Amino acid sequence: MTYIGAELMISPLGKTTEENRTAMTANRSGISLIADAGFDHQNLFLSKMTDLDGPGKFTRLIIQAVEAIRNEMDDAVLLSERTIFVISSTKGDPEQINDPFNAPVSAVQQKFNLANRPLVISSACISGIVAINTAHHLIHAKLYDHAVVIGCDVLSDFVVYGFQSLFAIGDTPCKPFDAARNGISIGEGCGAVVISASENIFKNAPLQLLAGTTANDANHISGPSRTGEGLFRSVKKTMEKNGIAADELDFISAHGTATVFNDEMESIAFDRLGMSTIPLNSLKGYFGHTLGAAGIIETAASMQMIRNGILFKSLGFQEQGTSKALNIVSGNTVANPETILKTASGFGGGNASLILRSL
Amino acid sequence: MKFITAYAHLKENICAVNGEMICRRDKDSGDSWFKQIYKQQEFVYPKFHKMDVLSQAGFLTSKLIKRANPQFAEKYKDDEIAMLFANQSGSAETDQKFVHAYRNGAPSPSLFVYTLPNIVMGEIAILNKWYGESLFAVLPEFDPEFYINHCHILLSAGSEAVLCSWLEIAGNQIDVFTFLIEKEGENRSEFTADNLSKIAFAGNLHKTEINANY
Repeated sequence: MTYIGAELMISPLGKTTEENRTAMTANRSGISLIADAGFDHQNLFLSKMTDLDGPGKFTRLIIQAVEAIRNEMDDAVLLSERTIFVISSTKGDPEQINDPFNAPVSAVQQKFNLANRPLVISSACISGIVAINTAHHLIHAKLYDHAVVIGCDVLSDFVVYGFQSLFAIGDTPCKPFDAARNGISIGEGCGAVVISASENIFKNAPLQLLAGTTANDANHISGPSRTGEGLFRSVKKTMEKNGIAADELDFISAHGTATVFNDEMESIAFDRLGMSTIPLNSLKGYFGHTLGAAGIIETAASMQMIRNGILFKSLGFQEQGTSKALNIVSGNTVANPETILKTASGFGGGNASLILRSL
Repeated sequence: MKFITAYAHLKENICAVNGEMICRRDKDSGDSWFKQIYKQQEFVYPKFHKMDVLSQAGFLTSKLIKRANPQFAEKYKDDEIAMLFANQSGSAETDQKFVHAYRNGAPSPSLFVYTLPNIVMGEIAILNKWYGESLFAVLPEFDPEFYINHCHILLSAGSEAVLCSWLEIAGNQIDVFTFLIEKEGENRSEFTADNLSKIAFAGNLHKTEINANY
């Protein structure tokens, strides 16, 4: 069995998991109108950590995450030769445009004197789920015993202008799956989880990780498949591989970016999977789309749902806006979710999924 | 056992398949080096001209590998061929072009969509209608152990073949090495770290010889 625990969220909603959970329980959003953020100096709705300023913020956020997470596990794990760090990021340090990953990774390795070079996964918006699955595979293959998985992306003109150029940024805080949705709110933040073959390294009891698969849409590099083929295949394989049937899923933490095409694609894929009645949310209304951090932050939030017996409202959703119906959670719900499916989809046609389960 | 059943090198001046040079850069040509290969090999895929250099390099080397192993694509189901790609600097080459565009005019959406390193795997998936596993990692340098470990993982979990690539392009420096790993491969090199290093490095020797001889 593979265990997952020590989840951490750092976002505009707070620097600790507790602060983030409290904000989500109150349905508070990290998204705000940021002045002069756009290419033509437009004000844009972004999920920005307004106190995160100055140079090197990408590296500082990761170091902050490691310092928090080390208190949640056995002291020996951090420096063990049997521990691998997996870092998920789409853009790395935007200040080091010609080599965005290597200097920050070296800085983190040196700062904590890590035994192994951290592995960087950069597979667009599915990076976080791919990183968690990869960590599981490395442990399952007995190459390592533990993995610290950290997802981080920070806001930059680069990313904001890029999504603006695609007309993908919404003119309100994002409204995933809603009829009036019209685009993404880009965000920044950092998430972390610890994955281990051992149950005993965690200060608080871990959950079970049922690692999943990725599947490509083979359709378009920047637009989702009309049939949801890649997401359909990824989820189907993840379920089969773990021997889980749709009626065993208590909840789906979907990707839900709030673009017209992405959310429509997800509704088609979940309908094809026979999952349209399973309660579902998108957490983008709380955190915005944090790109390479999204899969980890949202996995951490899903773990908090299992631990605290609550389904967080899909913030921003009011009225069904997809051709296939979904059971979107329109208000916080007291429940006892034991098994949660987490999915992600992204540029390059990638789709990824995994399952979390209470012990 | 696993085997390296085909491979392609793409360097600053030469392109080689299974160690045999198939194309040498014509410095006087008006075409880019990658377009020279595309034309000389008579590939027909208009989308090639829209791709960034990373995707063009992946397109060319994967097409050349398929041409060298014509039976390979038919042997597997559409989700049994995984892709395992890596490099040192992500999409930095295209990132810099995107920054240049918005600092000197406006952000270009056609450049922006290539500012992620995994896009090349998406292009190859579209080209071949492959729905399999894919992973893009950023490493400090070419590392045979990375490919050994992750091919082992992929081939133990449903994939039957893995198209691997190291593709690092920074300005005029081009270091692309794409190779195919399969579970069967008569008379082919066994997939070991030693063999992979030797084959990867052979491309560099080849380049040196070419430079010395011409």
